[in-house]
Amino acid sequence: MLSDLYIRLRSIFRRAKVEEELDDELRFHQEQQADKYIQAGLSREEALRRVRLDFGGHEQVKEDCRDARGISFLESLAHDLRYGLRMLAKSPAFTAVIVLTLALGIGANSAIFTLVDAVMLRSIPVRAPQQLVVAQWSARKSPKALGMSSFGDCAHNHEGTIGCSLPYPLFQEIQSQKKVFADAMAFAGPSQMDLSGNATATIAQGELVSGSYFQTLGVSPALGRTLTPDDEKPGAPAVVVLDYGYWQRTFAGSPAALGRTIRLNNAVFTIIGVAEPGFARLTPGKSVDLWVSLSQARSLGKQWTRRSSPDNWWLVVVGRLQSGVSRAQAQAALQPIFANEVLHGAKPHWGEADDPRLLFLPAQQALTGIRNLYGEPLLLLMAAVGLILLIACANVAGLMLARAASREREMAVRLAIGAARRRLIRQLLTESILLSFIGAALGALLAPLAVSALAAFFSKNSWLPLQLDLHIDLLVLLFTIGAALLTGIGFGLAPALRGSRTSLTIHLKGAGTTSAAGHGRGRTPGLGGALVVLQVALSMVMLTGAGLLVRTLDNLRSIHAGFDTRNLILFEMSPQLAGYKDQQVTILYANLQKRMASLPGVTGVSYASDALLDGGLSSDSVKIEGRADKNAVNVQMLSVGPDYFATMKIPLLDGRLLSNSDTTRTKHAVVNRIFVQKYLAGRNPLGLHFGGDRPDDPQWEIVGVVGDTKYETLRSEDAPTAYMPLASDGATFAVRTALAPASLMPAIRNVVNSVDANLPVVRMRTQSDSINRLLFSERLMARLLGLFAAVGLLLASIGLYGLLAYEVERRTREIGIRTALGAQRGTIWSMVVRRGILLVTFGAAAGCAAAFGVTRLLASLLYAVRPTDPVTFALTAGLLLIVGILACSLPARRASRVDPMTALRCE
Amino acid sequence: MPTERIELPQGTLDLLILRTLALGPQHGWAISERVQQISDDVLRIQQGSLYPALHRLERRGWIKAKWGASENNRRAKYYELTRTGQKQLATEQDAWEKLTAAVAQVLRAV
Repeated sequence: MLSDLYIRLRSIFRRAKVEEELDDELRFHQEQQADKYIQAGLSREEALRRVRLDFGGHEQVKEDCRDARGISFLESLAHDLRYGLRMLAKSPAFTAVIVLTLALGIGANSAIFTLVDAVMLRSIPVRAPQQLVVAQWSARKSPKALGMSSFGDCAHNHEGTIGCSLPYPLFQEIQSQKKVFADAMAFAGPSQMDLSGNATATIAQGELVSGSYFQTLGVSPALGRTLTPDDEKPGAPAVVVLDYGYWQRTFAGSPAALGRTIRLNNAVFTIIGVAEPGFARLTPGKSVDLWVSLSQARSLGKQWTRRSSPDNWWLVVVGRLQSGVSRAQAQAALQPIFANEVLHGAKPHWGEADDPRLLFLPAQQALTGIRNLYGEPLLLLMAAVGLILLIACANVAGLMLARAASREREMAVRLAIGAARRRLIRQLLTESILLSFIGAALGALLAPLAVSALAAFFSKNSWLPLQLDLHIDLLVLLFTIGAALLTGIGFGLAPALRGSRTSLTIHLKGAGTTSAAGHGRGRTPGLGGALVVLQVALSMVMLTGAGLLVRTLDNLRSIHAGFDTRNLILFEMSPQLAGYKDQQVTILYANLQKRMASLPGVTGVSYASDALLDGGLSSDSVKIEGRADKNAVNVQMLSVGPDYFATMKIPLLDGRLLSNSDTTRTKHAVVNRIFVQKYLAGRNPLGLHFGGDRPDDPQWEIVGVVGDTKYETLRSEDAPTAYMPLASDGATFAVRTALAPASLMPAIRNVVNSVDANLPVVRMRTQSDSINRLLFSERLMARLLGLFAAVGLLLASIGLYGLLAYEVERRTREIGIRTALGAQRGTIWSMVVRRGILLVTFGAAAGCAAAFGVTRLLASLLYAVRPTDPVTFALTAGLLLIVGILACSLPARRASRVDPMTALRCE
Repeated sequence: MPTERIELPQGTLDLLILRTLALGPQHGWAISERVQQISDDVLRIQQGSLYPALHRLERRGWIKAKWGASENNRRAKYYELTRTGQKQLATEQDAWEKLTAAVAQVLRAV
């Protein structure tokens, strides 16, 4: 009702005015009544006395009127808040400790949630993203007779039975279904493109997109225009649209960039526009610098873009559903076309029994991007910070309990003068929620620092430039407020309930301060003890997790890679994109190799088609001469340049290494030890041949055997590997240094620039950087869990210390009597420590049980250590006990020093 | 005082206030005087319940208040019936009459 709202609001905002009016009204009444009595013949004094009698308590009437106006809740809230602030200001140290603890707990949660939001929750920043669907195929088997490329937009499985890469003709089919799709687009990438014609040559992340890309997404230009379907037509001029952020960074946001020409992979493109700033990404985490039409694939020299072939599956297809059309209807419309194509096309990719299907998934769900990589670690971190917040809650609850005890007298007085218990609970809860909101505010200030540190760690360990949109949105804000509210109730409820249950008589008799809980443990320590046990248990869970990951990292780092991973610089180049052909590439490499080798501090230079321990792998199926089993087997392949084995320090075991005279024409190859052991056991491998099973495939002659190395990751088993000479392709250079690798990087860059300024040096890093990237999830989790566990442990020790100190203080008299009766200091000391150890032991036991159930979640990150590794569990429990004893020793010392005379006198 | 007093049954206070205000705007003291007069001193409204009731009725939107000058030229808060208040009065009065008639009937019959 309007009048209701008006009156309530008026009560809040015009409080003074309303109060004054109420006073006036009541005073008028009293005066009228007094006048009446005077007229009836009473003296003025007597009349006033009668009025007061009639009227009852003036304040009571006012209070009732306030209630009637419905203002009491909000007003008493304001009152409680003022009172709460006063109470908090009265004990600043206590307040500061609690606020800091809560800021830590809530801030950590906000920080991780910001990342979770950016990576997993935030919707695609385009028009009506819920209408967008992504085509995904699935079948019982992986498809055959087709080439597939994907860029990590969608989730994959190991069997290769789902994917969202599709051929161009199918995209056209989808686009032509106008009844189902309002529009559709396809894209591939981003892939690295050499960009020259704007300052020094660099690498840009360029995405190939259909002309309908921007109109399907509903993305407008910030400048110029975006691509249109006309730009995709054959013979259309080569044009490029820039990402807003890229335009800002690289072209300083200058409108003059419009109409300029740049060279992408040596082909000329005209800049026609800049996309709107809000369009930060399509796939989470993917950074795209520029967009060009699919039809330019050939001029960009992309080999994987045989554009319209039905057996080249390379495009992600995104459709915008017509309004009112469901995903099921879209599937029903496209399934027959898809099935017909893949089952009965020129080259069938599946049989009927494989049940190939085309699904349309919501784009938000299907475009996973970095969610594939970071999703699980992030959720684990979210759980971990949740535990931190729980520990913080338990810790603060313990502190509040102790304080509630010291405020028992205040509560008793308030109860005695008629305050309702409900009212007291509300007062105490208001105080704790106030505390948690102050903590949350401080936490929200700290969270961005943590977020940017984490994002930097993510980016540093990412293979591709990472785009994380980390602004604080409404969801993060709501999350923080919700966390603060729950926290406030979480740590405030128990102390508030207890505080309001204060016994009147004991405290008003004045006995409350020292002796009420003096004999025995009273009620407080029971709950306080439970809170400490909870903190210790939660810390134990975190410590165990951190311990398991530290052991995992140790195990992973002590794996012998098979080559020397120290003092090795890696970088990539793709001269064929800059126009080098065949022999020119080999000459260029030889020239670079010679120049770099002559740099002081460089002890070896070579190159290969790929880097070892960098997450990449190429393999092929081959037949091996002299092997009993005639089936083709899978062999890891690496094409290498001269001096590769010497540079990498991979030992020669048999035969000879590849020499300068070995080229792709001589068909000489080297294999590793396990190749021989697995496929040619008991035979002399030298002189035998292996190769693909088609007649025109080259057959390689084995001329030497080298030691095994890790290839894709540290975790992968050593597998049969063949090394052959590198053809004229892009390569990863490996430079062995005698000095700190970082100090030589500029010199190496200079060498490349001086040979050809148009050749970008890509991803220069050390081998250790690459390995660190491989261990990203493990390192991230080990570091953060370690940090959280340390914080948890610190909080738990403070909690334990606080509880014991409080108990000792309350039992001063009892301890004094014991000492007076002849108890030794040692006895008193061990009495306190025993209690502490008991609590820690309980906590550790409960923590063990919890960790036993929870560490399974880490299983996929662990290496050579079981989630229930007894050593880790034992060490963790031991650490907890030691820290626990340290935390008890201070209050125990104080207890043992209690002077009986002082203790008894203070009564 | 010699006059016999009757305790107001639950809920009748609102009805009495509304009925009194139906005669025209009044301040709180006049309302209690009027009720007392009309009922020949039988009904006397406790001030402690009058004002909370007035504020409650105001919040419900049945009466509204404005400040004006009293007969002896003092500032007083006058209450008057709103349109919803008039409807409410009719409903409550109707219900009351039905109730008392029915109660009277039962009392007479037994």
